[in-house]
Amino acid sequence: MTPEQATGRYFKIFVPSMIGYLVGSVGTTWAADNMNLPPAALYGLALVPIVAILSAFWAHWRFINEVDEFLRSIQIKAIIFGIACVMVIASGWGTLELLADAPKLKVFWLLPIFWVSYSAAAIVVTKREGGMF
Amino acid sequence: MKNRLKDLRAERNWSQAALALKLDVSRQTINAIEAGRYDPSLPLAFRIARLFEQSIEEIFDDDAQPAAEA
Repeated sequence: MTPEQATGRYFKIFVPSMIGYLVGSVGTTWAADNMNLPPAALYGLALVPIVAILSAFWAHWRFINEVDEFLRSIQIKAIIFGIACVMVIASGWGTLELLADAPKLKVFWLLPIFWVSYSAAAIVVTKREGGMF
Repeated sequence: MKNRLKDLRAERNWSQAALALKLDVSRQTINAIEAGRYDPSLPLAFRIARLFEQSIEEIFDDDAQPAAEA
């Protein structure tokens, strides 16, 4: 399988998953604010973005397995950077919340923080190591 | 790691994309290896060596000094 084919297969799953995630997140928030739903129904609605996230990560897992070793190494480095950002922010801010009464950071934002930091790292590592977009 | 991949490819008038296709890797991978920014795995190094009908040592140079004979 060529990298182009692997990338195409990745985006065919990733883009609908992210749309499902956004629609699910906004829909759940809207339903919680505007509809008098019981907690069980809200938990059920929250499954929509959760399934979408699982789907997106499954697509990423498949993508990493389908590309060649150099592109895989770039992906792994970028993912580790993204995880490191999430861990540092979660742990650092969590400590501030515990010890200094810092404002609460909603854990909802950890996923967007991951994707933004992962994407930035993927661009930087690709340019630095001689890959081309 | 230094290597002669670019020269070997040029001798055959192959583009990076053509070589990538023969080795079943991406063009980015060929570019990174030629630039010395990525060292291929042993299986890929063997595929490169077989394709050019040379030994791995003839294509790749790790700058290591040979061990002195006792």
